[in-house]
Amino acid sequence: MERKKIRVLLRNLAIELIIYAILVIIYSIIVLRLLSEPLTQLFHTNLVTYAFAGLGLIVAQGALLDAVTSFLLKQLGLEQLE
Amino acid sequence: MEFPITGVTINPLLLAGIGFLVGILGGFFGVGGGFIAGPLMFWAGVPMNFVVGTDMAHMTGKSIVATRRHRALGHVDIKLGLLMVVGTILGVECGAQILEALKTVGSMDMVIGLIYIVILVVISAFTAWESLRALRMVREERIDVQEAMGFEGVAQRVYRINLPPMVSFPASGIASISLWVVLGVGFITGLLAGMLGVGGGFIRMPLLVYLIGIPTHVAVGTDLFEIVISAGYGTLTHAVKGNVDILMALVMQTGAAIGAQIGATSTRFFAGPRIRLFFSALPLVGALLVLFRLLSGGMLHF
Repeated sequence: MERKKIRVLLRNLAIELIIYAILVIIYSIIVLRLLSEPLTQLFHTNLVTYAFAGLGLIVAQGALLDAVTSFLLKQLGLEQLE
Repeated sequence: MEFPITGVTINPLLLAGIGFLVGILGGFFGVGGGFIAGPLMFWAGVPMNFVVGTDMAHMTGKSIVATRRHRALGHVDIKLGLLMVVGTILGVECGAQILEALKTVGSMDMVIGLIYIVILVVISAFTAWESLRALRMVREERIDVQEAMGFEGVAQRVYRINLPPMVSFPASGIASISLWVVLGVGFITGLLAGMLGVGGGFIRMPLLVYLIGIPTHVAVGTDLFEIVISAGYGTLTHAVKGNVDILMALVMQTGAAIGAQIGATSTRFFAGPRIRLFFSALPLVGALLVLFRLLSGGMLHF
């Protein structure tokens, strides 16, 4: 692989890592605090609803994280390695 | 940070880190990564009954991200994945039933553990031997490294099985193959997964390459697609039984998503034989973990 490509790939990687580190912190501070109580309540009262809500959240978060990073990488002009 | 569902306090960055590591493996090799995530989660303090279910939940999300990335690269055969799922589900159910029946027999944990170790060591040794042979062929015969395969005999024989209905998989470059072979591969994977209590990625990826004869990159992507469905189903069943901490899974997924993207994108920079060579180390790690479990549980003595 060309040295220039490796450099771009590493930059791509570093940017993605920074974006995701920020997302992890945001999730810990805001999202988890918001979801913590209703999900815990649901866990203790209705496990079937909890199961479907949980799967929905996982799927939605997966799609969201993928879309956000793809969008940011495109905006940063790093999509050529995707 | 305290996770109120399980009632344990764990640093969310540690969970995200575990997710990141497992995500890279999943995106690159097309495996769920439960064999590493499970022990790490347990070590981090997650109660054992929550380990499997929560791991399944984060695996679903991670596999969605990795599958989308592989699909963008043209590495997912949706038709093949959907057909194989049918065989896998049947196999998992049969495997679970056999396991229940065998529980009445003493020392079954040790017997199953030893069978598992043998299967993993054989897969590891065979994959390493084949990929090294393929890489040597590339060097000596100057053939295209992406197409190189050190062992094609079984796939060619499988194509000659004319048991109708015959199906084609253009995305994998297969003109005609018996549907029963595809269902059979799914069934074998599911059976072993159901009996051994692990995901089938270890076994499915090599079977897709050597038995069905699809390119390594497509095997990785298609395997991940199947994990989305099977892990999604597993998440629901475990969550209904109260064994999933969704909050934990969401944190793990943030790390796993980036890892899965990096892993999936990295496959572009490695040829099939090299991916298979790296993959060959994974079953050995799994075998060592099972051996450790047998030794620490006092089931095996030297």
